[in-house]
Amino acid sequence: MKKAYIGIDVGSISTKGVIIDDANNILVGEYIWTEGDPIGAVKRLLSLMEPRFDKENYKIVATGTTGSARRLIGTITGATVVKNEITAHAIGTTAFYPEVRTILEIGGQDSKIILVENGVAVDYAMNTLCAAGTGAFLSSQARRLGIEVEEIGDYAAKSEHPVQIAARCTVFAESDLVHKIQTGHSKEDIIAGVCRAIVENYLNNVGKGKRIVSPVVFQGGVSKNSGVVRAFEDVLGCDVIVDPNGHLMGAIGAAILARSNEKRADFSFEVEHAEFKVREANCGKCPNNCEILCVYKDGKLIDAWGNRCDNGAISVG
Amino acid sequence: MKYTERKVAFPRYAEYNAALKYLLENGLGVSCIVPPPLSDRTLKLGAKYSPDFVCTPFKITLGSMIEALESGANTLLMAYGICKLGYYGELQEQILRDLGYDFDFINLEVYNTGKKKAFIDMAKAVNPRVNMPKCTAVFFEALNMGAHLDEITAEYYQNCGFAADRHAYQAIYKNFISEMYSANSALQIGHAYREARRAMLEQKIEKPANPLRVGITGDFYTAVDAFSNANVEQRLADMGVEVHRWINVTNRMLRYPGEKNLNIKIKDYCRYEMGPNSTANIWATKDYAERGFDGVLHVKAAACTPEIDIMPVLQNISRDYKMPVLYLTYDSQTSDVGLVTRLEAFYDMIAMRKKVFR
Repeated sequence: MKKAYIGIDVGSISTKGVIIDDANNILVGEYIWTEGDPIGAVKRLLSLMEPRFDKENYKIVATGTTGSARRLIGTITGATVVKNEITAHAIGTTAFYPEVRTILEIGGQDSKIILVENGVAVDYAMNTLCAAGTGAFLSSQARRLGIEVEEIGDYAAKSEHPVQIAARCTVFAESDLVHKIQTGHSKEDIIAGVCRAIVENYLNNVGKGKRIVSPVVFQGGVSKNSGVVRAFEDVLGCDVIVDPNGHLMGAIGAAILARSNEKRADFSFEVEHAEFKVREANCGKCPNNCEILCVYKDGKLIDAWGNRCDNGAISVG
Repeated sequence: MKYTERKVAFPRYAEYNAALKYLLENGLGVSCIVPPPLSDRTLKLGAKYSPDFVCTPFKITLGSMIEALESGANTLLMAYGICKLGYYGELQEQILRDLGYDFDFINLEVYNTGKKKAFIDMAKAVNPRVNMPKCTAVFFEALNMGAHLDEITAEYYQNCGFAADRHAYQAIYKNFISEMYSANSALQIGHAYREARRAMLEQKIEKPANPLRVGITGDFYTAVDAFSNANVEQRLADMGVEVHRWINVTNRMLRYPGEKNLNIKIKDYCRYEMGPNSTANIWATKDYAERGFDGVLHVKAAACTPEIDIMPVLQNISRDYKMPVLYLTYDSQTSDVGLVTRLEAFYDMIAMRKKVFR
């Protein structure tokens, strides 16, 4: 029986899962939409992964979770490692590209840049407070123009004169975009302009003050968009590597972290049949009135968090 | 209002209200109301009545003023400063008057004339019959309390992440703070301070020879006040980090080396004064870098212009010394999920770096 490790990355927009073996081979990889229901998404994810997993030869001995719902999903899957997505992405990418110097990542709601030296992250930045220049903006603009997000790359490729779109703020970018549509620019040029606006916004906000050195790896959901990749290559003046598994990199990183951690707990696909409920309770013992989240599995409390002091601590078990 | 009826309050600012209470009650002979500890309610109240784009400390201090009035204060004090802080008092007074509160407002900005006599005018504004020699003596005792508070706080955050019994270590610190709030004489202050030092030294600290060290810089309110920065020092220390923070009232007000002296040390990075704490923060960051710190957190309130201005300078220092700087911006949001993600990632990064580069 060979050992395998599962990594689950639950982001705001998409949920990713991979199972890897000791040599970083991806045994199963899956990518679905979160649709605002992280628990439901993980159950669906696991039901899609289970039939493709070779249970005869492999056994999952450790679980890692990452992404913004990492704690919740870590609790319900009994994860051995719960890690933030920045570390997970850095670990996953450096495992496949040991020479990488810069990791660009644009996801659904957030974007980050990680600078790497000698295979170790040395600096990073993440967007603050505002989702400007992320996948959410791209998909809403695609909808406005009446095309699918997946087609953006093809449209952008056809453009000869990308329009200028104010990149500083998504709200301004949007009104700028409306003006360009109404003055009769072609869809192709506008889409190419949007791609470029995303890149400029990213470099102005997240990448500000950071020295971007080649080799550059670009990942996250937006990296699947060839229009944005081309815009990055134009602006940075160097090749931008997009891994075919770039969208799974966070999950891969989580699985690698689970493997390198000494903690072991067998993973069971049973999770997809269990009933999970999250209840919110307000502590009320001081004016902070912390919202405490209680997670129940089949009616039994398995974890609680959200309290800022011991007054709101809930003992489990 | 007669001074005997005065119940004076100053918005919450870290634990310095203890020193101010000591000065007001023992030196100025008026009673003092300490507003309730800052909470989400304070922030919500403040944000509700503040202009949306004002810097966050304005909202928090306004909320704290409202809570002070609710607790029975009838006189509010407000500090002054070189940035937007100079306008805080006036605007806050107007907002509170518009809300219908009845109170005396002593805006210390009015006395910010640069003359030595200003201190006497400030004291007389609170209590016209103040005994000036006594008040001066108590003033220095209160400053001393502030220095003790800063010293014990610094000691606490540098070691609490490594204490064998973290609860006991924290209890010593918390106990010291409450002793400061109830102290009524210089003797009591000195005693509580020595007790706390002794108790802290007796605790077992399991610190490795070369621990992770992180420096904290940022604006004078957010970086210093634990509520405003969502307890960033404690969170970082709990991961097993020695947390240093140069910026505090004692270092900035009493032991400040002076603009010129600091300017000369950072002349490679900036040649003129950029704001109230800018020179100090640039110098402190450079100093942390030279002392081989593993990283620096730059903690600022949203819309804090002087701190936004120094970010490019800190980026240059970060690049030259290869020391990561994490920029954190605090607004009136109360969810700490984003902060935790960034802090965890920062910790992972500096921990892994340390293994590879040293």
